[in-house]
Amino acid sequence: MQTPKEIGSIQFGLMDPETYRDMSATKVITADTYDDDGYPIDMGLMDPRLGVIDPGLQCRTCGQHSGSCNGHFGHIELAAPVIHVGFTKLIRRLLRSTCRECGRLSLTQEEADEYRDKLGRTKELGDDWSDVMKSAVRQARKAHRCPHCGSPQHDIKHEKPTTYYEVQNVLAGDYSERIAEAMQPDPDDEDDEGVDPVTLANETGLDAERVNQVLAGEFRPVGDDRKALEKALDLDLTEEDMNKLMPSDIRDWFEDIPDDDLVTLGIDPDRSRPEWMILTVLPVPPVTARPSITLDNGQRSEDDLTHKLVDIIRINQRFMENREAGAPQLIIEDLWELLQYHVTTFIDNEISGTPPARHRSGRPLKTLSQRLKGKEGRFRGSLSGKRVNFSARTVISPDPTLSLNEVGVPDRVASEMTQTMNVTERNIDEARQYVRNGPESHPGANYVRRPDGRRLKVTEKNCEELAEKVELGWEVNRHLVDGDIVIFNRQPSLHRMSIMAHEVVVMPYKTFRLNTVVCPPYNADFDGDEMNMHALQNEEARAEARVLMRVQEQILSPRFGENIIGAIQDHISGTYLLTHDNPEFVETQALDLLRATRVDTLPEPAGENEDGQPYWTGQQIFSELLPDDLNMEFTSKVGDTVTIEDGQLTQGTIDEDAVGAFGGEIVDALAKDYSKTRSRIFINEIASLAMRAIMHFGLSIGIDDESIPDEATAQVDEAIDAAYDKIQELIEIYEAGELESLPGRSVDETLEMKIMQRLGKARDSAGEIAEDHFEEDNPAVVMSKSGARASMLNLTQMAGCVGQQAVRGERINRGYEGRTLSHYQPGDLSAEAHGFVENSYRAGLTPREFFFHAMGGREGLVDTAVRTSKSGYLQRRLINALSELEAQYDGSVRDTSGTIVQFEFGEDGTSPVKVSSDDENPIDVENIADRILTSEFSSAEEKERFLGEREPPTNLSEHAEPRVDARAGVESDD
Amino acid sequence: MVDVSQHKLVPEHTKLDDEAVEDVLQEYNVEKTNLPKIKLKDPALPEDAEPGDVIKIVRNSRTTDKAVVYRLVIE
Repeated sequence: MQTPKEIGSIQFGLMDPETYRDMSATKVITADTYDDDGYPIDMGLMDPRLGVIDPGLQCRTCGQHSGSCNGHFGHIELAAPVIHVGFTKLIRRLLRSTCRECGRLSLTQEEADEYRDKLGRTKELGDDWSDVMKSAVRQARKAHRCPHCGSPQHDIKHEKPTTYYEVQNVLAGDYSERIAEAMQPDPDDEDDEGVDPVTLANETGLDAERVNQVLAGEFRPVGDDRKALEKALDLDLTEEDMNKLMPSDIRDWFEDIPDDDLVTLGIDPDRSRPEWMILTVLPVPPVTARPSITLDNGQRSEDDLTHKLVDIIRINQRFMENREAGAPQLIIEDLWELLQYHVTTFIDNEISGTPPARHRSGRPLKTLSQRLKGKEGRFRGSLSGKRVNFSARTVISPDPTLSLNEVGVPDRVASEMTQTMNVTERNIDEARQYVRNGPESHPGANYVRRPDGRRLKVTEKNCEELAEKVELGWEVNRHLVDGDIVIFNRQPSLHRMSIMAHEVVVMPYKTFRLNTVVCPPYNADFDGDEMNMHALQNEEARAEARVLMRVQEQILSPRFGENIIGAIQDHISGTYLLTHDNPEFVETQALDLLRATRVDTLPEPAGENEDGQPYWTGQQIFSELLPDDLNMEFTSKVGDTVTIEDGQLTQGTIDEDAVGAFGGEIVDALAKDYSKTRSRIFINEIASLAMRAIMHFGLSIGIDDESIPDEATAQVDEAIDAAYDKIQELIEIYEAGELESLPGRSVDETLEMKIMQRLGKARDSAGEIAEDHFEEDNPAVVMSKSGARASMLNLTQMAGCVGQQAVRGERINRGYEGRTLSHYQPGDLSAEAHGFVENSYRAGLTPREFFFHAMGGREGLVDTAVRTSKSGYLQRRLINALSELEAQYDGSVRDTSGTIVQFEFGEDGTSPVKVSSDDENPIDVENIADRILTSEFSSAEEKERFLGEREPPTNLSEHAEPRVDARAGVESDD
Repeated sequence: MVDVSQHKLVPEHTKLDDEAVEDVLQEYNVEKTNLPKIKLKDPALPEDAEPGDVIKIVRNSRTTDKAVVYRLVIE
């Protein structure tokens, strides 16, 4: 095996054409690839010195065979220099900033020194040095004359992609006509008498005779004469002259630029002479980079790059032939341009302003730049996003009997993906048994590897025989078995809990099985979701996955510092039913509830029921899952106070706030104060207990659960009618023009706002009425109160009134002119005409209500679709920007260049998952101090002695207290 | 002109002397250029700050009460 080499540094620069020639394995002169016998032609594009792709042939450069020979570059001598499209911007900058005569940078010594200093400083600070270069070029471009040789400079025009012109202002050909016309009196202006030659001569300071010569077109007024004439007559005598710069001209120009001036621009002349941007020799990529494929019919199909190289060589040859034959300049220039086009598209085939080179079929060719760019390109597609072996993907389904650390793996996946076993004295019998089982029966083996490196496939036929041959030092690729660690992932991988390590449990059937409590971190459900699994291939990776990535290690989310794994949905309903009214259970019932947990003995019964049987309470049963020394007190979601003393739940309801995912107090406390293992056990057992509890009580929901008594319906109708009346009143006030507008709003807006407000209130009161008439044990109420699923609003809409539908946060106002539907009068401002749904879902919506409801619903769908794509891109950019930041051992956060981003991680140097916090205190100092004190002292007396008695402050004066406050100053905002 | 340094939302900016700068660089084992930057035109800077100076900024922090940050003045 090849050992990995450490990369010391990478340097980018231009390559000297001479280096190309030295490195080249051969010069390529013919555009043909293979001869009639199918052998590559010498000095052709498939020359065997460029590497080999056909098996059996030998590379003529390195002597190796296909597979081991990486290939070698060749070269094409270009008949004329051409511009490299990748450098057109830099070429333009250099043309504009250097002198056309002497090649020196058009900056004075002082300016040059200044830019050089700035460049050094910018590089030191790690900022973008190309900004300095740009500003230096801008400064140099201002010079009309070279500060060194004094020759005049012209503007450079760049016609994309690869043509450059020098723009000069020269005397127009029709100068005499222009002057004569300007001397004529203006026909529209009676006072204008025109200019006669004598006055003109006086004004310009020229001889009268000269003026006449100029007017006759016999003397060309250049320089100062031209300027004088232009000034006197207020006209422009010049026209632009475009002088095309051929690549050879540019090459000559760049050769004159001194090394020193390049340094000022931030170019390293030792590595990148600017003339190397103009190609005189073209490297030919090795055959291995553009392999030809043999089609079924025996025909060879060449790679796009080879096609392009054929074009280049053909044109190159025609160019040379025409030049030798002394063809006219026009033809040479055309061929030159064609050569430039082919070389340009060879490098990049997506240049704007150039038609892309196409395949015979009309498909644009995929050339060098297209191979690298974009999502499917070499970087994002082949290097960052490689496809991997030892991975599996299938549909997921729930299995509440698994631990949250486990994953159920289908047997066919387990027998395809293998783990490498190094055979030693201790496991040789085991290893032989795996091989003996063969590749098809489950805990078997697929391959063995002998110490000499030979890999043998285990087959049904040879497995018995092979098992006997297995010796120490062999490697056996055995199937996945229960307890192996694998990595499990669901896309989109938005946070680190999207990839976690699970222990394998091999199972029949075809889906991956998960415990439902790991759904929140993966954001998974079972409506057809698929997930990926990766088998780890070395001990280091397996150890790391076990210690760092196992699900139980990820119970706390670094996003908000609380648990992200916990009870969900039915688990929460279950614990609620178990603890809310503290029901009683007889022995069989109590044992049944706890049968899926570790608990196998019941505590002392709470009492005896009427039948004289001992009973246990729900809180007692729940307490069996808690550690014996747990003490806490918090407010539950239902609103009562939950008290846990020495591991006994003495009062309160266990609901979402106690055991739920996303910050359930008990789970959070266990994960932080006890251990990850303890909290894993707790979550597993809570899930099992809750399932048993919900099965004991039963929890189902039907349409009758949302119905309310007739008198309640009447009350709801009354509330809605009251709102309608109020709105009618408002509309009347508005139409009378007496509505007073709210600050910053127009009268129309005010009316809309008030109507919306009133209708919102109407729905809320309908909700309250409905809520009052629901029984406490109504399953929908149980679910919404405990936080298992649904909100009270959902119930309101089902039983009371659906309420106002909104599009863009306003009542529905679209449709026809002045009305939403043709059922209404134009200008109708009433609630029903603008999307108020007075019915409940249970009662059913009228057709018009249904239509408005669909409008609101559609907006919601569109919004979510837009939001996911927007936020996905935003997240990608954020990750790319922050990916190189790292917390150092000294507590600071730095990027890869060593620049400090935070002096202390998060200002306090603490990890959010290791600190317990609540809304008031970022860090729960009191609790921590309390815990440490308790553990520090063996008895309460000792602790008391250490802390001493706390005396109340001596009251010196009635004014003492406020004065203390004044000294402390004003409290800070944060 | 408003003196922003007196505003309650502007944290305290002080210029460090050479010795203190040396200590800071030593503590974090960095070059000056690896410190976070602050532009010379930043109105919160003390009057006499020049490019190359190191500024100590003491902010109120939600978690640690006071958080100290050093910045290098650049043009």
